[in-house]
Amino acid sequence: MLNRRHLLAGATGATALSFPVFAFGQAQATDKRLLIIILRGGMDGLAAIAPLGDPAYANARGRLALQRSGQNAALALDSTFALNPKLPKMHALYRAGELLPIHACATAYRERSHFDAQNVLETGASAPFARTEGWLNKALGALPNSRPEMGMALSAQAPLILRGPANVATWSPSTLPNVDDDTMARLLALYEARDPALAHALTSAMSANGVAMDSGAGGMTGAGPRSITPIAQVAARFLKDDHGPIAAVMEMSGWDTHANQGIEQGPLVRALTALDEGLDAFRTEMGPAWSNTVVIIATEFGRTVAPNGANGTDHGTGMAAFVAGGAVRGGRVLADWPGLGHAALYQGRDLRPTTDLRGVFKGVLAGHLRVPNAVLEHDAFPDSGSVRGIQDLLHA
Amino acid sequence: MPDLRLAAIATHRFGLGPRPDELRIVAADPRGWVKAQLGPQHTLPAPIAALPPAEDDLLAFGRWLARRRLNGANGQRIEDRAERQGVTQEDLQRLSIEEDFVQNFRERVVRAVGARVEAAMTTETPVHERLVHFWGNHFTVSTAKPGAIALPPSFEKDAIRPNVGGRFANMLLASTKHPGMIVYLDNWLSVGPNSQAAQNPSRARRLPGGGRPTGINENLAREVLELHTLGVNGGYTQTDVQALAAIITGWTYERPRLRDLVSDSVADRNGAQLFEFDENAHEPGPKTLLNRTYPQTGVAQGEAALNDLARHPSTARFIATKLTRHYIADAPPSAAVARVERAFRESEGDLRVTMEALVDSSEAWETPFAKFKRPEEYAITLLRLANLRTIPPGAGIAALGAMGQRPYAAPGPDGWADIADAWLTADLVWKRLEFAQAYSARIARADLDPMSLGEACLGPLLSDETRTAVSRAESPAQGLALLCGAPEMQRR
Repeated sequence: MLNRRHLLAGATGATALSFPVFAFGQAQATDKRLLIIILRGGMDGLAAIAPLGDPAYANARGRLALQRSGQNAALALDSTFALNPKLPKMHALYRAGELLPIHACATAYRERSHFDAQNVLETGASAPFARTEGWLNKALGALPNSRPEMGMALSAQAPLILRGPANVATWSPSTLPNVDDDTMARLLALYEARDPALAHALTSAMSANGVAMDSGAGGMTGAGPRSITPIAQVAARFLKDDHGPIAAVMEMSGWDTHANQGIEQGPLVRALTALDEGLDAFRTEMGPAWSNTVVIIATEFGRTVAPNGANGTDHGTGMAAFVAGGAVRGGRVLADWPGLGHAALYQGRDLRPTTDLRGVFKGVLAGHLRVPNAVLEHDAFPDSGSVRGIQDLLHA
Repeated sequence: MPDLRLAAIATHRFGLGPRPDELRIVAADPRGWVKAQLGPQHTLPAPIAALPPAEDDLLAFGRWLARRRLNGANGQRIEDRAERQGVTQEDLQRLSIEEDFVQNFRERVVRAVGARVEAAMTTETPVHERLVHFWGNHFTVSTAKPGAIALPPSFEKDAIRPNVGGRFANMLLASTKHPGMIVYLDNWLSVGPNSQAAQNPSRARRLPGGGRPTGINENLAREVLELHTLGVNGGYTQTDVQALAAIITGWTYERPRLRDLVSDSVADRNGAQLFEFDENAHEPGPKTLLNRTYPQTGVAQGEAALNDLARHPSTARFIATKLTRHYIADAPPSAAVARVERAFRESEGDLRVTMEALVDSSEAWETPFAKFKRPEEYAITLLRLANLRTIPPGAGIAALGAMGQRPYAAPGPDGWADIADAWLTADLVWKRLEFAQAYSARIARADLDPMSLGEACLGPLLSDETRTAVSRAESPAQGLALLCGAPEMQRR
């Protein structure tokens, strides 16, 4: 097997001037870690966390309503809420006090376009396409003792949340044959002479491959459809490495359940199962570092309260999210519940949002990573002065 | 006076990279060479013509569903057994209906991807073929949705190809009426609440699961407004989405009957011939879209609305911006956008006239290498560089997937991103270089001189640095790998 670390050492000598601090070169100054899982497509929050105690729930949800008892009974959280039966491992985390479900939340966005909504979720702005940088990039870039590539995307392309002036690393499993080190070194030299953007990308890829190879994940080619378990395990390997990133982002698609989304089987059921298993695999792989870890699971919007004609749900507003990890004060549901009675619905069709997700993000960034308030207010989440960071998300 | 520099810009920026003899020919008249390919074409490339028609794809889909149901087992019982035997949900997924489906259709998709790549690598009119790729991405239908897995190739063949260089309104209508789009964006599930089908459910068509659709599905209407015509800031509201959704209720396709599934008769109809207007599902009455009321009845209502959307000033702006971004720069120069927009508006969406305005813009011939090629375009450049004529079945699909752009599999209805930020990332660049090396090793021959190939491909745009690197290579294969990985091969 090729040793890319070795190649890296050779390349560093030649490039010391243009890259004074090499990616992953020195240990991070903090042992806090953050993983963000973006659920693309709009997770049905009322299916993930069912408000069984809301008297309007059963009627409003119709054929998609979950039950308190029976073979496929929802997993009780408190007198009002219950987790989807396909989330048993997250339910165990909740009982261990390490999962904080959040309900009836939303970004600042109130329309129903995936692309606009994901844009707002990831830029932290109050309107779509108001800016081109992601809030996590801005937050990481502002940390004291900032160094290159504190953030990492577990995907071939950095998602918007990680784009911006701060360098971030990207990594995804390879299905192609290995390459010749000497040719790569020559290409790097050519890029340095001609094309700084390509030079930077190649340098970063070389260092990320070094870590992945050393952890034994280099030969990974991905598992079955929908599973996020292997990629979650690699995320953990990067994050628990002292020389790795302090924050990582992974994405999961398959949540846009317009048709036949299912209660006992169907696309939503499979997605929830994959999420449950992926989070559990991440926790296991983190080992002792789990106690210093926060995981945020968020999506771009919720879905309609009522099922549509095709036994699915359409784009909605109020959604559910999760914060998990050893550092989280969980075992309770965070929700200012607006109710599902018709008069309480947003525009007569959606769950009304009562909690601003930016408050959750700010609370985690401030409490966990110690991102200064001024950065949160002005750089990470512009025009969000009225949204306070939620204070008690984490253990003191 | 032949101009090799402009020829290199023309073949990379507007074409798919030159084959070895192409640059010299184009140099005689680079602008003329581009413009001659902007109009409609009346014959299909041979590999595309050989693909099965949409009806065959739909019958294959119907047969697969029927077979599953005929042989179907009780899902819950299997899940119980799996739990008793300690088989995880993840393993069980291998038996799932979707996985089986993908297995069944993989060969069909592999064949279609091969045809698309072969058409691009052998075409004598690469500028036209690039336009097919552009419009196929504008009107995305993707295999990423299992129910649509067989349909993107015939969608491209039936709805996009005949309308490239023609009228935008015709392409919009062909797209919105094609079974591929109707399945991909769920319009076949959409039923007007006051329609016959909703009032009297026995009149509604059954869903594959056995139920009957009862409500409006806004998916296609929303994307027509947001992605196909006006653009997200084009001045429409949720009310307009609902109005257009009601207007196109009943736009569906002829679903195969059981009798067709067991018959051997030839299934040769294309997507346009399979469009069907289901009066029973159509929401009756006039509707108001963008402050204009459509009194027509039946399918004419939707046709009138789409024709108006195609001519809307926001559409002109949106299409002009996308074209200029695609061909000239990630941040499209506003003067060029304005010229293209005016041409689109004044010609009422004549796509040849629109493209001529873009080609006549001085910005289109300045700053070579402003754009970073997407992976598919990059791979095709390399295939044309070595003058390959065919590729083995299935070759390259995994590589294109690894580079982030498996053909016909865009992640969402907004298609593939068209800016460098999305593609010039550490991991994707690495995967490109892996591909470039594997490919160079495969095509390297003693008589294939990397330097001459580089000159034939880039002319005066081949940089001194790349020349030096190639000349110092330790083997022809490494020389080819360095040429293929050079910045000027990845940009245009």
